[in-house]
Amino acid sequence: MRVNSNLVPDVLADLQQSQQTLNTALQEVSTGKSVNQPSDNPGASATMVQNTIETGNVDQYTQNVTSLLSTVQTADSALSSVVTSLTQAVSLGTEAANGTTNSANLQSLASQVQSIITSVVSEANLSYNGTYVFGGTATAQQPYTADSSSPTGYVYNGNNDTNSVAVGDQMNVQINLPGSQIFSNSSNSVLGSLSSLVSALQSGSTSAISTATSAVSSAISYVSQQRVFYGDAESQLNSQETYLQQETVTLTSQQTSLVGVNMTQAATDLTQAETANSAALAAAAKVLPMSLINYLGTPS
Amino acid sequence: MGSLNTSLFIGLQGLEASQAALNATSNNISNSNTPGYTREVPQLSANAEADVNGSYVGGGVTLDGIQSVRDELLNLQIQQQTSQQSSVDTQSSSLNTIQSLFSNTGIDLASSLTAFSSSLQQLSANPSSSAVQQAVIAAGQNLAKSFNSTASGLASAQTSADQEVTQTVAQINSLSGQIATLNAQIGQTVPSGQDGGTLQDQRDELVQQLSQLTSVSVTQSTDGEVITTGAGTPLVMGAQSFSLQTTTGTDGMQQVLDSNGNNITASLTGGQIGGAIQVRDQTIPGYMNTLNTLASQFATAFNSAQAMGYDSNGNAGQAFFNIPSGTTGAAAGISVALTSPSQVAISSDGSSGSNGNVANLSAVFTNTLPSGETPANAYAGLVFQVGNDASNATAQSTAIGQSLLQLTNQQSSVSGVNLDEETTNLIRFQTAYEAAARIISTMQALGTVTLDMGSSQSY
Repeated sequence: MRVNSNLVPDVLADLQQSQQTLNTALQEVSTGKSVNQPSDNPGASATMVQNTIETGNVDQYTQNVTSLLSTVQTADSALSSVVTSLTQAVSLGTEAANGTTNSANLQSLASQVQSIITSVVSEANLSYNGTYVFGGTATAQQPYTADSSSPTGYVYNGNNDTNSVAVGDQMNVQINLPGSQIFSNSSNSVLGSLSSLVSALQSGSTSAISTATSAVSSAISYVSQQRVFYGDAESQLNSQETYLQQETVTLTSQQTSLVGVNMTQAATDLTQAETANSAALAAAAKVLPMSLINYLGTPS
Repeated sequence: MGSLNTSLFIGLQGLEASQAALNATSNNISNSNTPGYTREVPQLSANAEADVNGSYVGGGVTLDGIQSVRDELLNLQIQQQTSQQSSVDTQSSSLNTIQSLFSNTGIDLASSLTAFSSSLQQLSANPSSSAVQQAVIAAGQNLAKSFNSTASGLASAQTSADQEVTQTVAQINSLSGQIATLNAQIGQTVPSGQDGGTLQDQRDELVQQLSQLTSVSVTQSTDGEVITTGAGTPLVMGAQSFSLQTTTGTDGMQQVLDSNGNNITASLTGGQIGGAIQVRDQTIPGYMNTLNTLASQFATAFNSAQAMGYDSNGNAGQAFFNIPSGTTGAAAGISVALTSPSQVAISSDGSSGSNGNVANLSAVFTNTLPSGETPANAYAGLVFQVGNDASNATAQSTAIGQSLLQLTNQQSSVSGVNLDEETTNLIRFQTAYEAAARIISTMQALGTVTLDMGSSQSY
């Protein structure tokens, strides 16, 4: 059979192929990615869309958790100060209720309790990052403002709603309790019990003082119960933070296995491709100039 | 018995035959790199012996002609494979442009969807922050822009495919004309049934070029070659060529008409024009439709979620996105309708600190759209489709390229000029020429001897 002597198309095709392999290997090493365009691996590219969105969300959830944790902790420590203040009020009430305190001292005790009210109200008006923590969802207005027409001397400007924040795809954490539930609840009103104590101290009636003191005591246990909510939220957020960290690791490793390159492998591939390419070039340089002409003498 | 003159005459024929063979060889060498050239071999035959006074004498050599060595069947196969390859190559190059729109570059749709989704999660934690509200609007605008730019990228790929159709039609017409001219020349100069030589080489080369543009079917008739498109529309019949025309169709794309004005666009397959029409009329509209559906359904779902809540001023949520009515043009036309950060419907109860409606807004990302998929999955499906199409086209092109290379090698081994062979022939015919010349000089010497026989004078 007659042999094809025109090696050029074959040589060109081989050179192109080895150049293509070299380019691919080089691109993988230089970008650190095995999938640089959808056609490199259509399935992985499609999965990466989901991964990218999920990674973006998890990053944001993690930021949310961090900022919510400090909000919740701030609210919790505010309630802790409220409990301390209330405990002070109880000891003042108990001191007054033993009947030995004179009227001038009772007035002084009353003004001390009054200043406790002021400090509790200032805790109830806690603002964190520019928003009021205990105003329900009405976070722009100060929750408690002085109002002489109110029996407690203060009026609640917030609402009874709460906010839940997304910290996971299927997880929302409620992050606030409205002030109306914590401080001016109809059955266990913190502010109500304190202002009753002030009135009782001012009236000097031992029995009234004792009743008001026990109301303040039960307000303490009520506030402590409310604190459980913030403790729960905090522990939920903490465990979610751990989960999100794991999720980040999972997503990153999924990303690596989808589109990443094994650097050792890629570097070896590159070296191999380089060797193959120079071998192909050397072969082409050897084979192409071969001709009988080279071996014939010039005609005499 | 033959005379000295007979040998002299035979020697002359030998000289002429060798000269012709040397001509053919040098023509082969000169054309060793001419595209479409097939090697030529001299056809020599021995003349009939002559009966001279009862004894037979050799009649010398005759040059019957110069024959081109070609394999028509291989040519046909190469034409078919060439059509297929240039069709997938055209598609592949278009798809490679398209798939860069869907690569994870940071400005693609996946990145914008991610940023928009994250901005909503951030809003969930900071519902009353005007900066975060502004970030949501900005992320929404970026998403709309990503839809716009992806749609315009697809549209411009479609436009360039459309331009390729027009250009290819012009090239097809020009080639058809040239082939018809060659058909006429071959008909005039080459006796029927004989090889057309270089003219036929040129025609084969033009048909080969034509098969890069569209798939063709070639048949022989008494008038020369008849060339039709794969679907049977005549392009060349003997000395006559039939021009294709283009006209703008109802969708704004160029439609191809045959010489009688019939629309043959859909029947054109193979070659550049087939690939361009496939990409323009099937592939890109498919992607565009998916993208438009996604844009339209996502925007509609997001607008409904907006409507469930209240903005920072306590008003019912207005539509977040403007979308053209109907799915067509949704991706190109989507834009953010809101002008102020305070218009994002964050609140579920009308108070500015509530984040109750953010969950509804975020849910658009996790709930299925009317298409049955979440936005991310719908987009991921499109990315897969584009990537898969591009990868298939490349793989097909490689496979057809391999088989085409095989066929070309086979054709070269039949018709290609082998310089080593030609050099050898050069030596062979040179020697034969020298030997024939020696016959002449020998006969001359013998003639001198004969003349000298009866004379004292030496000639």
